[in-house]
Amino acid sequence: MSEHHHDHEHGHDHGHDHDGKPIQEDALPSLEAQILETSVRELLIEKGIVSAEDIRRAIEAMDSRGESLGAKIVVRAWTDPAFKEKLLTSSDDALREFGINMSPMELCVVENSDDVHNMVVCTLCSCYPRPILGIPPAWYKRRDYRARAVREPRAVLQEFGTVLPDNKQVRVHDSNADLRYLVLPQRPAGTEDWTTSQLEKLVTRDSMIGVSDVRRLDELVG
Amino acid sequence: MRGPQDYGGLDAGPVDPVTHEHVPTHWEKTVDALMMLIFDQRRQLARVDESRRMQESLGEDYHKYPYYERWLQAVSWLMLEKAVFTQEELDAKQAEVRARLEAARDGV
Repeated sequence: MSEHHHDHEHGHDHGHDHDGKPIQEDALPSLEAQILETSVRELLIEKGIVSAEDIRRAIEAMDSRGESLGAKIVVRAWTDPAFKEKLLTSSDDALREFGINMSPMELCVVENSDDVHNMVVCTLCSCYPRPILGIPPAWYKRRDYRARAVREPRAVLQEFGTVLPDNKQVRVHDSNADLRYLVLPQRPAGTEDWTTSQLEKLVTRDSMIGVSDVRRLDELVG
Repeated sequence: MRGPQDYGGLDAGPVDPVTHEHVPTHWEKTVDALMMLIFDQRRQLARVDESRRMQESLGEDYHKYPYYERWLQAVSWLMLEKAVFTQEELDAKQAEVRARLEAARDGV
């Protein structure tokens, strides 16, 4: 095709760089925010503080965290009493076996039982066990959850579809910059013969934040 | 005194676990990565409480910022405070980046 020859007219204005456009634009923030982010990033790279490779790797590392990593830890605790004891008493050592380093923060693992249900919030910010679960969910950062989790936890739990018997105690743990919490959910009855990988499929992100239980056994069928 | 970030116990609306989910965009992950990198053990340029101090100093503006734009502001202020770069360097860089992004936006 010659330079200025088109066989057909485009019905809409495409601009001139079809191939330069992504398939779908990621929702971008305001131009001002883009300018500040680009400026800070480029200055940090020019000053040798970070490299583009460091940023790429940091994103990759964050993407690798989440439900499945947390589930491995929970299932190990379900199936290995010595590990569970270590996780509940000196979690640093236990997490090192999974290549997780919480430092400079501390992790406190709180265990659900027949009598106690634990849930985690950060009323002041969005502190979260990021080295295990990655970036917190949007609702965890919002005012609604942060304000009400400490005042009416049962009502908030109901909004997640979690209804607890009145005689079950609810303990709400308020995270901070230095101390993060992870809920160790209860292993469901009837899973005695299950393999590790079957058990891991039961454990959800929300069950480790404590806003829900693990998946129901029938959710895994089919 | 209650700071702008201190939501605990206040009145607020219902939590909607369906609509209040959001998969972080690549831009948000980039800001997240910058914060994590300045915190990390190799760099130790700032700590979480310092980032919070910066965000809380926004006062009532705290509520106006989208989450990661607040983080970005904190990273920028922390790097200025730690003299990693100067305000003059940041101003010059922003002017250059503005011209570049506006040109890209306008398809020049």
